[in-house]
Amino acid sequence: MAKWFAKPPSAAPLSEADRAARAKLRVGIPKVLNVWTTHQFWLGFFQALRLSPRNLVFSSDTSDAQMREYGSGRGTVDCCYPVKCVSGHYGELIFGQKRRIDILFSPMIHSLSSFMDGHVMESLACPRVMAAPENIKAGFLRERDVFAENRIAHVAPLVTLAEPKLVPRQLFDALKAVVPGLSIEETARAVEAGFATLAAFTDDLRARSRDILEWCAREGRPCIMVLARPYHMDSGIGHEIEADLQACGYPILWSQYFPTDPDLLDWIFRADLAEGLIRHPFDIDDVWPSSYSANTNEILWGAKVAARVPWITCAIRLGSYECGMDQPTFTPVQQIVERSGTLFFSFQELDSTKPAGSVKIRVETIAYYLECNSPGVMEAKLRHMDGPGPLQTARASAESPG
Amino acid sequence: MKFAGIDVGSTTVKAVVTEGGEVLWRDYQRHNTRQAEKVLEFLERMEADCGLTAGEDPVFLTGSGAGLMAPMLGGKLVQEVVAVAAAVEKLHPDVRFVSEIGGEDMKTIFFTESGEGTSKQVYMQSACSGGTGTFIEKTARKLRIAPEDLAAMPYEGMSLHKVSSKCGIFAETDANTLLKGGVPVDEIIASLFEAVVYQNLATLTKGNTPLPEVLLLGGPNLFFRGLQQAWRHHLANLWHDRGISLPEGRSVEDCILVPEDALYYAALGCVEIGRGEAEGIGRFTGTGKLRWWIDEGQHEAKAKEGGKALARGADDIRRFEAEYSAADASRPATTKPVSVEATDPAPLFIGCDFGSTTAKAVVMAADGEMRFSTYVQSRGNPIEDAKSLFRDIRAGGVEDVAGLALTGYGKDLLKDILGADVGVVETVAHAKSALDIFPQADVICDVGGTDVKIMILRQGTVADFRLNSQCSSGNGAFLQGVAERYNVPLEDYAEKAFEAKSMPSLAMGCGVFLQSDIVNQQRKGWSAEEIMASLAAVLPMNVWIYAGQLQNLRAAGRHFVLQGGTHRNMAVVKAQVDFIKSRVPEAEVVIHPHSGEAGAIGAALCAREAWDPDLPSRFAGFARIEALNYRSTTSEHTVCTWCAVNCKRAFIDVEVTGAEGRAWSKVPLEPGWERVISGNSCPRGLVEDANEMRAVKAAMEEQRRVYPNLGEMVRETAFRRAVIRG
Repeated sequence: MAKWFAKPPSAAPLSEADRAARAKLRVGIPKVLNVWTTHQFWLGFFQALRLSPRNLVFSSDTSDAQMREYGSGRGTVDCCYPVKCVSGHYGELIFGQKRRIDILFSPMIHSLSSFMDGHVMESLACPRVMAAPENIKAGFLRERDVFAENRIAHVAPLVTLAEPKLVPRQLFDALKAVVPGLSIEETARAVEAGFATLAAFTDDLRARSRDILEWCAREGRPCIMVLARPYHMDSGIGHEIEADLQACGYPILWSQYFPTDPDLLDWIFRADLAEGLIRHPFDIDDVWPSSYSANTNEILWGAKVAARVPWITCAIRLGSYECGMDQPTFTPVQQIVERSGTLFFSFQELDSTKPAGSVKIRVETIAYYLECNSPGVMEAKLRHMDGPGPLQTARASAESPG
Repeated sequence: MKFAGIDVGSTTVKAVVTEGGEVLWRDYQRHNTRQAEKVLEFLERMEADCGLTAGEDPVFLTGSGAGLMAPMLGGKLVQEVVAVAAAVEKLHPDVRFVSEIGGEDMKTIFFTESGEGTSKQVYMQSACSGGTGTFIEKTARKLRIAPEDLAAMPYEGMSLHKVSSKCGIFAETDANTLLKGGVPVDEIIASLFEAVVYQNLATLTKGNTPLPEVLLLGGPNLFFRGLQQAWRHHLANLWHDRGISLPEGRSVEDCILVPEDALYYAALGCVEIGRGEAEGIGRFTGTGKLRWWIDEGQHEAKAKEGGKALARGADDIRRFEAEYSAADASRPATTKPVSVEATDPAPLFIGCDFGSTTAKAVVMAADGEMRFSTYVQSRGNPIEDAKSLFRDIRAGGVEDVAGLALTGYGKDLLKDILGADVGVVETVAHAKSALDIFPQADVICDVGGTDVKIMILRQGTVADFRLNSQCSSGNGAFLQGVAERYNVPLEDYAEKAFEAKSMPSLAMGCGVFLQSDIVNQQRKGWSAEEIMASLAAVLPMNVWIYAGQLQNLRAAGRHFVLQGGTHRNMAVVKAQVDFIKSRVPEAEVVIHPHSGEAGAIGAALCAREAWDPDLPSRFAGFARIEALNYRSTTSEHTVCTWCAVNCKRAFIDVEVTGAEGRAWSKVPLEPGWERVISGNSCPRGLVEDANEMRAVKAAMEEQRRVYPNLGEMVRETAFRRAVIRG
């Protein structure tokens, strides 16, 4: 990180008037798409700008009711279901708040900061997902300017989170007109706070994942890895399918939050590194040479991890209807996971598999095979590993992973 | 000069003749799929009644049948939407939104002022019956409502119930369920009107707000008073929500127009466009060619357009039958009970499949041989069904039971009561039984009477499962309906269908339209067996592509197992085999030899798998099952309140040693008793009420606490205030 960035020059103190104005400023953020992986960045950023945490509101999880009440008739032509749903989130933030918001902040996230940066070509966001704010905004402008009518500023800056040095300028230009007394220096400091907050949050979840894995290793118990885009955590998009499996007695890991501790990764990828198949544990060149998309890269890497870690006896793949980014990855991900003997189940067209009856039957089906096959899968995968690893040697800390 | 405008629609023909802007003649009639005949009749009357003259006056045609007929008459074709828009602009310059609902399609037109004129944005839907006139009429017919009564039925003031707006056939099912639940017919119809308006607004506005004034066109909008009321209700709400002010001094009612001549707008629009055409365009050349078409041409065309038959000659059928003789086409619906040797020393396993309409049981020996099978039509009381099954099994000579497994929706209800060792989910049971007879199986396709299930197997597991429940196309109920219409017993369906030398090609898709397409083909002169053949031929497409959403059959695998009642029909099997082999030439397709019992067999296999000779089975025993003591309660406390259908459920409480009882229930149950819920029409009804839901949720919460989920942690913590770092 550049020196000036690590230690930004001190900003001019904020005037009383600006401070008071900011304390009242309400920002609504649609809880959609890549906000599902940058949440804490935005909270950290706005709080560092001295906005009150109480005034930072997210829309609720996606739901039919949300779409019906706030988004119907504002749809746009987009085949991506998670993008379509953004209309409902916009509507909820505009019409559904007890206290009006002043800013609808909907970042056009062009690239993401990924733990795989440096080992992949790029960490870009899906272009359709990035452009969603512009696309959805149109549904609120086509007849009358709904934002103006409700005195809400629609702020949708293009942000390149994979290039942190550019971010302060991007956010400053977008927010200077609506955040009183904002300076570029203050923005830079807030961006830094945002990144640090997100990193701390992610580190915490990675530690939780490691706890789960250590528990599994100690108890000889299986767990499940979800391979999906971050927004599949939205209960209205992913339908909490993984939570139904969790209720059957399996801890659930998500590839985004798999621990990245060197000791563990070295154990998992030792053979591949030794054979020269990869140059680094985060290298996915062996399976996915066109590594441009951050979410896709993390899914492919997750598939490799799921295939290798003995206690992950099953991977669940989630994908939304006709997702152009997911489409080419379905077969490689399936083959990577299945070749190791790990169970693999895919819900490829989530919005059309929604009928509860079919999901319930599928969950029961998966639970059945998990129960029957897990011991064999664990045993076979353990045999493949190069001796016991750091998970097995960890000290016992708790009765359950929870 | 006179101008004739003819709108040849999917159910009616509408026509006008004008002279100098005055309407001289007009009429509309249902054509009962004889479009050409009706148009001819109209033209003859126009000639006789108001002197329409060939070689002089122009004729303009629009609608679904116009493309065929315009050239025969010398007339000019006008696109439907263009025609309607022309009439609207002439007659109602202030209209900004038009909804035209037809028999089998729906359209919306938005008029936006732009510069000097208006620009038009059109949205159409004609692939699915949801939201069209057929959608309402079909259900009304089923409810035996006379057309006059339907027209007068109100929307205002009615309680509304949930009716599927997406699929006409499901709407009918919903309507049936509501009727069974005691909902008055006029409330069901009001709910249908609601569904139609909802579907139109949801799918055909695409982000535009219908602004006043609004014009409602087409038969359903004109004839059904309730539908007009539903539009007023929804548009008034929409305008209120979006802060749209009405023109000075006008009420909502004033701004939604339903012109008395709404039916004629397309025909009037034709004339309007025609008046702007150069002289000589569309000049009527007489009815000769149309008459020739009716008498000869259409039959020649039928012969030409017909697809090839189900089978390429007798040899093809012989080869097919030889290959699939194992799956005897004439085998009975369920195998008859086979007696078990009283001296049979091998351990016996029972597998039961408690489905929604039948309960089935098989007895299997340790070698996997099926020794006995029986079934009972469900009578709404699972305990009585179970008693009946086990009475049959015992009468069949079975005494010692080494293991019992249950599958089907009743498995969880009855597991403890019958003392089952295993409860198996349907997919697993089907996969087990398919893999048992066909170890390489990749795909199982189960086509029943009301649903389609596709299971894709990998690594010996059911890796993917498609259950078609959004749309009714592809299920077997149709074949049955059509066979009934032609008075052909279902067993003879295949024989009849194989007789056809050629067949019409039906379009894949919506079942409602398939029905009307059949009528259409019939009118064209296709015979019963030809239509039956074509229906079998289109079924694979509906099963795999339309309902199963499986475009790439090759990716699914190479070994296909067909099962389910509909595959007893060999005409369907032939079509399936040909379809699968056209997509996957190296495919192997087999029919499950006991397709009706596949679930029960799979369950028995699971019981055998779980068997430990050193441990006793949990099986309650024939005597205990026969003596099961139960009481049934039906009261206001057993009514299901999860949705507006309010199913009148029965609580069947069974005495089971060690059962927990339900102290929290409104119909309390003491320890030592177990409750089975029956009479519900959907799975939600299996949960008694909010009290039980809380109990279920609490157990799930505990499970979630013990087994964490990173996704859940994100949902719960990521959007809360941040602990600022840096």
